[in-house]
Amino acid sequence: MAVFEPRILGFLCNWCSYAGADLAGVSRFQYPPNIRVIRVMCSAKVDPMYVMKALLNGADGVLIGGCHPGECHYIGGNYYTRRRAMMLKKLLEVIGLEPERLRLGWVSASEGVVFAEAVRDFTETLKGLGPNPLKGQR
Amino acid sequence: MKRGKHGELLQNIVRGMLGAGLVEEVLAFGRGLNEADIVPLSVVDPEDVERIVAISYYPGSLAKLVADYGDRGKKIGMVVRPCDARAMVELAKRKQLNLESFYSVGIECYGVVKARGKNREIYIFPTEMEIDGELKPLDEAALSPNCRRCEYHLPAMADVSYRLGQNGRTFVIANTEKGRKILSAANIPVEEGPQPEVTAVKERSAGYQEGEFGKLRQMERRERLNYWLSQFNKCIKCYGCRNSCPLCYCEDCYLKPERLLVPGEAVPPEMLFHITRLIHVGDSCLNCGQCEAACPMEIPISRLYHMLYKELSSIFGYESGLDVKVLPPVSTITEEDRTKTGVDLS
Repeated sequence: MAVFEPRILGFLCNWCSYAGADLAGVSRFQYPPNIRVIRVMCSAKVDPMYVMKALLNGADGVLIGGCHPGECHYIGGNYYTRRRAMMLKKLLEVIGLEPERLRLGWVSASEGVVFAEAVRDFTETLKGLGPNPLKGQR
Repeated sequence: MKRGKHGELLQNIVRGMLGAGLVEEVLAFGRGLNEADIVPLSVVDPEDVERIVAISYYPGSLAKLVADYGDRGKKIGMVVRPCDARAMVELAKRKQLNLESFYSVGIECYGVVKARGKNREIYIFPTEMEIDGELKPLDEAALSPNCRRCEYHLPAMADVSYRLGQNGRTFVIANTEKGRKILSAANIPVEEGPQPEVTAVKERSAGYQEGEFGKLRQMERRERLNYWLSQFNKCIKCYGCRNSCPLCYCEDCYLKPERLLVPGEAVPPEMLFHITRLIHVGDSCLNCGQCEAACPMEIPISRLYHMLYKELSSIFGYESGLDVKVLPPVSTITEEDRTKTGVDLS
């Protein structure tokens, strides 16, 4: 049987996490190729609906990357993201999905290593959880 | 038997409000053209005041009505249950109505019935119910499911609290300055009734919450997911839950075709429809039960929303509908947030 390779959708903020991912790339840090990245201007641009739509369309996990608290390019966008992520995790639990399928991480532009490690760790977690049961449900 | 025997004092209050010119109209539930019907009434003419009833049946949300169709400039009186008084507070937070222009009379409420036979007069008291003048022990099965879980029996957020007494004794209590104005306009002395005994009712609601949510929590995750999937699969997309929800106020709704999620002329997918609503109102759900009452497919929606609300309420420390200054937790950040560095607020 083929090994389960999770598909991760990543929403990375333009100013920190995306640059962090870029740095991980140019620095040749190895991390699993399971993540597909969408660049957003701020992690607060990630409407909770995007996360749920990704999960309903079969993504096994969603990673939201934002600037560290206090370092948001728009002063406070990531504080909103944090509250939304807390809400979403409870929502996932209530409807019967693993809250671990959503991960929020703070990655600054200089933290290529942190980004690579976050993806590696998240991929391992999702391998443990198995495929998203919502796949194909819409 | 005399009709509407518990509503007399209420009608006097309304008459007083209209007579003294405090308000231009009063929104309340009352008898429709057919005597047996209970319908929302906008009372302008003092003659219509006697149609207003206080029976324990509340088909719809007056707060929703007034936010949708209310005349913004007018002073309006409202006769509401605590859930609707809380809905008004939540709508005011979202700038959908201005509490200053409302004079609200809250009825102390221990639940409403989900359906009533025509011509039946039903009043619910903490442990008893009165059907057509006959006092019986309370049949909890007759109550709306959300009312069994409800923990807000006293309309402290309304200007006047109005309590039905079992022996026809009614009390009115002014909660605010506006409330005192209402009572003096109606020439009713402010009575300080004995504090109602709500401990037993609170225990009952805690029991129902524990029972219903506990059953869902104990399920395996996959089982719970399948349960909700099977419930959502029943949905026929009538939009009844959205249209009846006092918190769903967006004029340009996400669930409309050709917005973000739904292509033109298409029907929204099952899961997404309910999850969208859950995301939008979950943090402030009032457990008013209007969504579930409106649902033709009998999906236990208010149980889901109330369950998420309780979970969020415990992590954010937020109680909806009490204080107009405390904003919804998912869309508001506090000063304390700025001092925390983790990925959650713990």
